[in-house]
This record gives sequence, C-alpha cells and structure tokens, in this order.
Amino acid sequence: MTTADVTASTTSWKRRERRTTAGLLSAPMLWLALFFVAPVVYVAAYSIGAITLFPTDTGVISFDDWNHFLRGGSVYMGLFWKSIRISLTVSVVVVLLAYPIAYFLALCVRRMKYVLLLVVIVPFLTSFLLRVLAWKVILGDRGVVNSLLFSLHIRSPDDPVSWLLYSQFAVMLVLAYVWVPFVALPIFASLDNLDRSLLEASSDLGADRWRTFWRVTLPLSAPGVVAAFVFVFVPTIGEFVTPLLVGGPSGYLYGNAIQDLFTRGTDWQSGSVLAMFLLIVVAGLMALFGRFVQVRSVATD
Amino acid sequence: MTDRDHFLARRLNRRGFMRMAGMTTVGAVVLAACKKAENVGGTATGTAAHLPISEEPGKLRVFDWSGYGNGDYYPDKERLGLWQQYADETGDTPEFTLFANDDAAYTKAATGSVKFDVVHPCGYKYKDWVDLGAVQPWDTSLIPNFPALNPKLEQLGIVNGKQYFIPLDWGFIAPIVNLDHVDVKEETFGILFDDRYEGKISWVDTSNMMYIAGLFLGVADPFNMTDEELTEVRDFLISKKHLVKFLWNQSYDFWLSFKKEEVWIGYAWPDTVGYADAAGMNYLYMEPKEGRVSWVCGMGLAADTPNYRHGHAYVDSWASTKAAEFLLGWYYYGHTNSKADLSVVSSGVVAALGLDDPTVLDPPRTIPESYIPRRDLYQQYWSEVLAS
Repeated sequence: MTTADVTASTTSWKRRERRTTAGLLSAPMLWLALFFVAPVVYVAAYSIGAITLFPTDTGVISFDDWNHFLRGGSVYMGLFWKSIRISLTVSVVVVLLAYPIAYFLALCVRRMKYVLLLVVIVPFLTSFLLRVLAWKVILGDRGVVNSLLFSLHIRSPDDPVSWLLYSQFAVMLVLAYVWVPFVALPIFASLDNLDRSLLEASSDLGADRWRTFWRVTLPLSAPGVVAAFVFVFVPTIGEFVTPLLVGGPSGYLYGNAIQDLFTRGTDWQSGSVLAMFLLIVVAGLMALFGRFVQVRSVATD
Repeated sequence: MTDRDHFLARRLNRRGFMRMAGMTTVGAVVLAACKKAENVGGTATGTAAHLPISEEPGKLRVFDWSGYGNGDYYPDKERLGLWQQYADETGDTPEFTLFANDDAAYTKAATGSVKFDVVHPCGYKYKDWVDLGAVQPWDTSLIPNFPALNPKLEQLGIVNGKQYFIPLDWGFIAPIVNLDHVDVKEETFGILFDDRYEGKISWVDTSNMMYIAGLFLGVADPFNMTDEELTEVRDFLISKKHLVKFLWNQSYDFWLSFKKEEVWIGYAWPDTVGYADAAGMNYLYMEPKEGRVSWVCGMGLAADTPNYRHGHAYVDSWASTKAAEFLLGWYYYGHTNSKADLSVVSSGVVAALGLDDPTVLDPPRTIPESYIPRRDLYQQYWSEVLAS
C-alpha cells in the first residue's frame, strides 16, 4: 500500500467518524436545543421585556427589573442569600452524614455490600412527596417527637416543641434526610475504587488508622466528596417543594419566590429575572467546582 | 386597542424575536405558544348563530377548582350533586382541568396554556377575565334555573352591562377561633394579628391578606389601596408574620391543624365552620366589627367555545337546587339558588353562617369582595411579605 493510499484511507476513515459522531450527537443536541436552550433563551428574553405574554406587558425592552434586583432594592436578594445559607448548611451536614455510611459500605463490609447499598437508596423508590409529608406527622405539635416528650413528661401537651415543624430547622432536616442516600453514592464510588495497596503501604510505613484516613483515604476520595457536595448544593438552592410543605413563614426560600411569581400573578418579568439569576449562579458554581473535580475522576476512581 | 389587536401585536412581537434569535427551535416554541394564546381570544356571537347541541363536539372542558365535580373530594357525590343533570340531558361527560387559586387560573388562561369551555373564577377577577377577552356573555334564556337564582347576587356577574358570569357559590372570609384557648374580647380581624397568640395563628397564603390587614387598619378602600396604604399594610404584615405558625393553601389543611389544636386562630372559610361544628368543637366564627368579607364565584363561558349549548346546560345543572344542597351539605358553602333546603346542615352551622338570615350578605355587616384593580401590586407586596 502506498503512502497516498494510506492517507486516502485515513481521510476516509476520519470523514466516516465525523459523520457518525454528528449522527450520534444530533438527537441529544436537538433535545437540548428544544428543551433547554430554547426555554432559557425565552425566559432570558422575557426578563428584559423582549417578549409580551399578558395584556399588561408593554413589549419595551428594559433592564429595570434586573437593576432593581441586582442593586439591592429588592427583598429577593436577601432571600437569595438566605437560601444559599440554608443550602450550604444542608450540603455540609449531608456530606458529613453520608461519608461514614459510604466509608462503612465501601471499606468495612465485604459481603452484601451492594445489598446494603440498595437498602440505603431504598427511600428513593418511594414518593418524594410522601417522604416529605411523613415528616409532618413526625414533627407536628401532636406528632411522634412531641408525643414521646409528653409521655416522658419532658414537655406538657399544652407546651409542645413548636419549632420542629414550619421552621427553617424543619426545612434543613427534611432536605438532609432526602439527600443523604443520593450523596452517599458518589462518595461510595470514590472509596470503593480506592487502591487498597496504598492503605496497606501507609500502614506498613507506621501510620495509624486515623493518620491513614487523613493522609490517604480522605484526599483520594476528595473528588467524590466535592461531587457529592455539588449534587446537593446546586438543586437545594432552588428548592421549593420542601419549604412549601414544612417551611412555614420563616422557611420561605428563593425557589418559592420564583414559583409564586410565575403562578400567582402576571409579574413574570420579575420571576424571569430571579430564575435567570439562579441559573447564572448555578452555572458559575458548576464551572468553579469543575476546576476541582473532573467527572471522569469520580466515575473511574 | 381591541383584544384581537393585543393578540396580533403579541404574535408580531414574538415573530420579531424569532428573527432576532435566528433559532428555529425557539420559533417552534413561540409559534406554539401563539397558537395557544389565540384560543383565549374571540368575540361573543348571538345564540342563533350557534349550532344545535347535537352538532357540538361535547366533552365539555371545565376549568375549575379541585373538588368541584372532578371527584377529588367526594368521588361519586360531586357528579351526582353538580353535573348529573347535565350528563342526563346531554349524554356528555365533562373533562376537568383544575386550578389552585384565581390568580393561577387567570395566568394560565392569559398565557394560553389551558383550553376550556367553562371557567369558575371568583368575583374580584371577573373584570380581568372580560378584559382578557377570554369569556363571552351568557344567554340566560338557555338556563332554565336562572330565575331561581338570587337576582341581587346575579348582578355581581354583570360586567360592562352584560351577564358574563353566573354567580353560584358563595361564602365568607372571617376569623375562626378555638374558644377553649382564645379569650375573645372583641370580634375583629385583629385576632389574626394578636401578639398573645404567637405561633397559634394561621393566615391564608394569598394576597387576600393584604385587604384583610387593610380592613383591620381602617384604610378607606381595602380593595383599592393607595401606594402609601399598601406600604403601610405590607410593613404591618411583615411585623406580625412571626405570630404565624403556617400559611394555608388548602382550606382542609387548615382544618386539620385547627382540629389538632396546632393553631387556635385562623383565616377561615365556611367549610371549617361545618367541620368544627360536626366535630363538636367549642369554636366561634367571628362576625368582625369590620364586617365579614363575602366571596361569590361564578361560571364564565369561553369566548371561543365550540360547546356553547353544552356550556349552558352545564351551568344550568350547577344552578339547580340539587347542586345548591350539595354545596351546602358537603362544603357548607352558600348558593345563589335560595330554594336549597337548609336542613341538610346542622342548626349550629345555619346559625354560625346566618344562612336563614336574608340580610346576612348586606353591608356593612358583610363586605362583598370587590374587583381589585391593582391586584398585581397587591401580589407584589404580598410576595415581599413572604420574602422578608
């Protein structure tokens, strides 16, 4: 075979590969364009008044709502920071709770490992709404917790612990409960694929179990931990169902404000501003976290 | 600008946007939305121009509250009470689309995201629906039960001189209190803002709280407050928000909490009165010194409905004595058909709601919930109360 033949064959192969790649990518790209890019562009355009939907819309392009929101004139910016604070707290707590579970499953259990993992994620098989509503039964003034306190004569029925439900505490507790199994998975994946010889080497070099954990296990599982943190932090910033059901007036979050603006009136422009701002922040956070964790490293560790 | 012009302008704007974006994907979404939006519009035409009922498509699309015929609350009884007459007359089974509140219903219609033949909003939204061009006037001669309806209340359904709505169900908004725990010194909406009962109060989660607080603060017109009054009311509600245990979205959720004594005081509709009475609770449904607020909801007919006569048959079914007794007996709501037999509820409920008193809906004892021209502003301020 001559050099020219080899070159022609390579070019033909590359052309076929490009065509195959384009063919395979076209369906997901079309899907993304239709159901992600187009709606986002639409909402972005509405946020500046480029589109009219209601008779009250003027159709005049204006950045007033953006200015009002970004320059602190809006109560929603305060609400955004409140949501960030709650989401951050939940994420840290959830990772701290999920790590020992994942550690136990990955490094301590030899048999039945995957059966136990299935047990951990079993709550995902039940309705999300049902799981959240169950907490109303547990945390209510006449709920499981208060009834126990009454029977132990720690509190009287006239004086139940009322902050258990309809509070920020309730929101954080339920969110933590909902996300722990999900967050345990990426950490488990990191730990399960850990090279055990490194742990043995650490031990051979005289390190005790704690030192091995801090110097070897934790750093090597860091990508899983960061991924787990992102998995819970990003969606909970815009969470609205849990606060709606168990939050009460003090548990009202940024996601609830977006939902209310779109469902209770015609001020969709403000709603679009809030939604776009959240999207931008989340995209920024994803880019930031992306610098610390590569998806591939979590998947193949 | 007419309603049709609005929609044409809307379509042009969207087309302009599409060109700017240069994205066929966006265009597809926009055009689909335009098509939906067009369905909202339309103009009324005379009865004579309409097809006979046998030539209409049927499968009446009812846009209504949950439990008003779709079977959410009383699966068989809702049908029997509210639309069995319609089914018998037309052989049709309606299809239901539900909304959670008036604002959500209006928003869906205004964006063209719902198709309906009849819709069931409440009085303060009537004018908005008419201005949207989404409804057309009824021909009351096609509603045999119309003469049995309270003419004074039917007046509320007239907008721009035409009977755009047939008011049917009515009720009150007033505080209910548990007398085992609450010391009532005076019947007033102020009990909803009483510092003595922190953590034992429930408000409704709608901007109606704006005019309730306005009533309590004594503003000139709680349904049309000035900017200063709205600011004052918003700040007042923010200052009292810590007293509230939870804001209810479903009246039944409030009732469950009231029954369990998680809350002792709340913004309540008549259904809570009925449940509390049946449960033997020691309660008081207040007649506040500011006046109880009364709401009246009614049926509207879609401007572009292909089921013109089916729509009339459906509202006639709802206007029947049977429907009135169903609403009274199962939801404890009043009905504009005054021939309903009051014995379907207990004497306690009749007394608490004043159902046997012909003046019970008259001002100043009762304040009819009026059209709120600045509803969006009310909503904005209420959102700020929630977000603060």
